[in-house]
Amino acid sequence: MNKPALSLPLLRLLGCLLAAGALPLAAQNSEAPGSNSPTGSPQNPSGAQPAPVQTPGIPPEALKTQSKPAVVRVNVTNQPWDFMRPWAKRAPFSRRAVGAVLSDKRVLVTGELVANANFIELEAPEGGQKVSASVEVVDYEANLALLKAEDPTFMKNFEALAFTEGTVGDTLSVWQLENTGTVLVTKGSLTTAEVARYPIDESALLVYRATVSLQFRDSSFTLPVVKDGKLAGLIMRYDNTTKSAEIVPTPVIEHFLKDAARAPYEGFPRAGLAYSNTRDPQFRRYIGLNGDTSGGIYVTDVLKGGPTEKAGIEPGDVIAEINGEAIDQDGNYNDPAYGKLSLTHLMGTRHFDGDTVQVTVLRKGQRKKMGLTLARRSPGQFVSEPYVIDRAPRFYILGGLVLQELSRQLLKEWGADWSKKAPEDFVYLDRHQTELFKDGDRKIVVLSGMLPSALTVGYEELRQMVVKRINGVELSKLGDVPVALANPVQGLHKIEFEGDPSCIYLDAASLAEADAMLMQNYRIPVLKRLE
Amino acid sequence: MIMRVPQLLIALALTTASAWAQPNEVRKSLARITNTAQVPNYRIPWLPGQTGGGSGTGWVVEKERLLTNAHVVSNARFLTVEKENDPKKYIATVEHIAHDCDLALLKVDDPSFFKDTKPLPLGALPEIESTVSVFGYPIGGDRLSVTRGIVSRVDFRTYSHSLLDSHLCIQIDAAINPGNSGGPVLQDSKVVGVAFQGYSGDVAQNVGYMIPTPVIQRFLQDIADGRYDRYMDLSLNTFNLLNPAHRRALNLPDDGRGVVVSSVQSAGVCAGVLKEGDVILAIDGHPVFSDGMVELDGERVLMAEVAERKFLGDSVRFSVLREGKEQSLTVKFDRAWPYTLQANTYEQQPDYVLFGGLLFQPLSRNLTGAYQFANPRIGYFFDAFVSKELYKTHPSVIILSSILPDPINTYLGDFKEGIVDEVNGKKINALKDLAEAFEEKTEFYVLKFVGVGRPLVLERAAVEAARSRIKRRYNVLEEQNISASF
Repeated sequence: MNKPALSLPLLRLLGCLLAAGALPLAAQNSEAPGSNSPTGSPQNPSGAQPAPVQTPGIPPEALKTQSKPAVVRVNVTNQPWDFMRPWAKRAPFSRRAVGAVLSDKRVLVTGELVANANFIELEAPEGGQKVSASVEVVDYEANLALLKAEDPTFMKNFEALAFTEGTVGDTLSVWQLENTGTVLVTKGSLTTAEVARYPIDESALLVYRATVSLQFRDSSFTLPVVKDGKLAGLIMRYDNTTKSAEIVPTPVIEHFLKDAARAPYEGFPRAGLAYSNTRDPQFRRYIGLNGDTSGGIYVTDVLKGGPTEKAGIEPGDVIAEINGEAIDQDGNYNDPAYGKLSLTHLMGTRHFDGDTVQVTVLRKGQRKKMGLTLARRSPGQFVSEPYVIDRAPRFYILGGLVLQELSRQLLKEWGADWSKKAPEDFVYLDRHQTELFKDGDRKIVVLSGMLPSALTVGYEELRQMVVKRINGVELSKLGDVPVALANPVQGLHKIEFEGDPSCIYLDAASLAEADAMLMQNYRIPVLKRLE
Repeated sequence: MIMRVPQLLIALALTTASAWAQPNEVRKSLARITNTAQVPNYRIPWLPGQTGGGSGTGWVVEKERLLTNAHVVSNARFLTVEKENDPKKYIATVEHIAHDCDLALLKVDDPSFFKDTKPLPLGALPEIESTVSVFGYPIGGDRLSVTRGIVSRVDFRTYSHSLLDSHLCIQIDAAINPGNSGGPVLQDSKVVGVAFQGYSGDVAQNVGYMIPTPVIQRFLQDIADGRYDRYMDLSLNTFNLLNPAHRRALNLPDDGRGVVVSSVQSAGVCAGVLKEGDVILAIDGHPVFSDGMVELDGERVLMAEVAERKFLGDSVRFSVLREGKEQSLTVKFDRAWPYTLQANTYEQQPDYVLFGGLLFQPLSRNLTGAYQFANPRIGYFFDAFVSKELYKTHPSVIILSSILPDPINTYLGDFKEGIVDEVNGKKINALKDLAEAFEEKTEFYVLKFVGVGRPLVLERAAVEAARSRIKRRYNVLEEQNISASF
């Protein structure tokens, strides 16, 4: 009920295409070396011409302007950590994608492509020259990453893509690469632009949806979406049965790039606010909103210490306007480019961390204007982190008890159906964390597994429990474990759980011996990782 | 003992019986039972439910009474029993039914049914690997069927009829099929069990289960006073004391004795007597070993088996080590465990309140079976109801289970599957609280749901205007049924 209602933008202004066109990149002038000038005659040493000549689907304007390729193959080897065995990584796997070359010769791909990447290389579409690359900036919530070739001369032979925004009804071209380096162009139409969930569950940003019949190619994990020869977005999800593609759109890319241009990267800000619609006339009369036509959303919850609370907005308030834009009963404002769009876009994508928006609130018949300073909520600020990527899981093996902090990433070890298969109280704690831990600012230490040892006789069946205390010390993060272990009572460590059994004991003097056995018999390289 | 387990077991809704000594003698005491049942529909709770049929086996257990499984005669509207070599169908009624141990006792209206029948005597627990015969009327034909097998193991197992209760159970490898349910399993002309459940063939082979005689005898003894009081339950959890460090922490010698009390249900009989952290050394004089077992009649069984043999009004004596001192504590079984929402229930019409097209129902296993709720909070309330003592704040968990669409509730779809917390500021602990709140004459009814920031608001005028319209449109016979006390 607190999820923002989403609606189709149906109204469209003719002029918006031009107004929302390609945007200048702040990084473009400062970072691009003179030798990498994107203009000029073809200098490709192989003499290869870009593919469009052979591809009937390519728009004529692309043929004219593109003497060099504007896309590059990106080969990534990913190796995520195994949260069930937090000392080890899973088997590596490889993905191939097509990245978009930007004017500063960096390469734009989706964040998901490079999540937990061990190795990234760029490959010329034709000729197949390869060069190692590194991630310069990545935002997993916006699902975007900026890559940089280690050898800048490699990028010399690429053209850059400019940006454009899409409009519902537009014909978009999706670019794939044939083995020959030819660009395979598939056309589809942009059907919807709306705020929707991104792969990171906690993140909701603008998405373009397009209907397009893509053919299978081995390098299609991320694909550029082009309109009139300019980049309109990157495909992040594609459903082969419904032929529908979800695209990270230009406004999100634009926000990401502007932010990336001024270090440190801040990310997409939030208001720390949950709301519900006010459509029901009975409810509107109850909260004193008169008339059936006016808008406003009902604030159901504010994050403690979050921007909305700091602004003085309370649950029960009705938000009527943001920066002078009227908010309708479903939480949408009238966006100049996309029509009705969730206020999430207005606050999170049209503004940056630290920006202040003016919020008009109705409270007990009074109209109040409040300044709300938006801030990003980093994953570390969650009690159960929504994702742990590019970072090894923290863990502590205590005589065979495997202790970790509860996170959504750990829960996802139970598979796509984790919310049904993972231990129910873990799912409950994760899902209702803001309700259960109003003060935030803590983690939940759990027993995630058990490696039977001489110390754990009788405890073999225990796992998936919340650990409350060790030796009487409350655990509010994994780092508290070694602190608590410094003070055993009469040679015993007392470990207290939420649930049954409420406590167990370990022999403190035998821990070192058990540690040696665990490392040797279970071949565990390290018994703890706290950073 | 009440516990939860996976639902792999299937009840054998036809019947069986066996006695390999003199089948001709045994068959005189057997009956085929045909049940016309009516199963309540939790999605349309004001309707009486659909009628269906089933058959099983029963046998003469004592003078003019038939014993069978509870699941053979559950939700019965009309019962008939038949004998071999007698063309007549006799009308029967359920005299006692015990859903927690899947047994029932039937009366036959016409006493002439019992002419020439002889009660089958009860035997003891059969030895492992000894041969038994299963008698009954399973699928595959109309006449008596006998199958033979050996006793594979004696164990504590979940009884799938209630799904909440576990009792002693004997596994045999004789073929047991639907229709065998309720039939006797014989050895040396004595009944050693009642066939009652098995695995479907794609899960396991040659695994059938029977209810052993200690459970049958307990049932017969319980109803001797004319009333079935259910199994008694200690309602506490214990944890093993196998770990040397754990023993040291509790100052226990290394003698392999004692388990530690890890939780005591505040609504159970042990509340106020036993405490978390107590070490149970003996129960009714039987030493408790550190893995939680006791020795009863030469068999090592779970400590809970001692409570299994108790009746309402009985007591159990614990030898407990608390704060270094050994004490003797007595727990009286003055009530059965009150909160059975996690068990399948039978016979009862569903409880509900319908208001403004909103259907409110108390959470139960029957309800979650009828609706596939997507709200994970409901799953949590169901599973943690006892373990986290949620009954203390929500003795009954009232759910907005469905909405009969009407202009009055057209914007309320988001509230579906919510758990009602308060109405107009009053806590809702039972369905009757909700019905009372809706009877108040107030301009707005403001419903708060657990974990939901926005209240659901109904205007009294609108509800009253919609009332007859909703009743007529959806053929609602009654707007509420409230039977449970909480």
